[in-house]
Amino acid sequence: MNEICCELGLQVGQGVPNFKLDTFEPTKGDFGEISLETLKADKKWTILFFYPAAFTFV
Amino acid sequence: MGAEVITVSTDTKFVQLAWQREEKMLKDVKYPMGADPTGELSRMFGVYDEKTGLALRGTFIISPEGKLLNSEVNFYNMGRNIDELMRKFKANLHLATHTEEGCPSKWKEEGDKTLIPSPQMVGKVYEAYEGK
Repeated sequence: MNEICCELGLQVGQGVPNFKLDTFEPTKGDFGEISLETLKADKKWTILFFYPAAFTFV
Repeated sequence: MGAEVITVSTDTKFVQLAWQREEKMLKDVKYPMGADPTGELSRMFGVYDEKTGLALRGTFIISPEGKLLNSEVNFYNMGRNIDELMRKFKANLHLATHTEEGCPSKWKEEGDKTLIPSPQMVGKVYEAYEGK
């Protein structure tokens, strides 16, 4: 496994460009949308938790 | 816990709905599940594997100002420790209002000892930390 899998992404200290995501909201049982712009406007910290695929462990 | 936690995978929101409804381990999950089927966000954070179309296990903490403060990426086969994520998040909260301080590795929560870097501390971190 010597091949590099991923292109280099954002580094710590950098500003994160705005992003928007479609979501499923378990608390509402409904779809939604979330954007960094809104989170910043709400003065919220954001934790992004990436995982390879649904139906696997985290 | 004072932060918006968003789980993200390259699945669609429909798959995430199905998974959350099917998997009993997820019955108490309250976090929004973000769909990144194009891999755009996964690429932005450097966790997109072009060969598989999947995102590696990356965890990122972003301040309310939109600055990336923590970055941790595990390969496919290793899960993450939520205690360490919480420790990092709490340390960020502390450091946001105590900008002159530093949270050492043993810092766990508000009230724990922090360090204030100074010329006197150079070579004397042990004494500063242990109070000797």
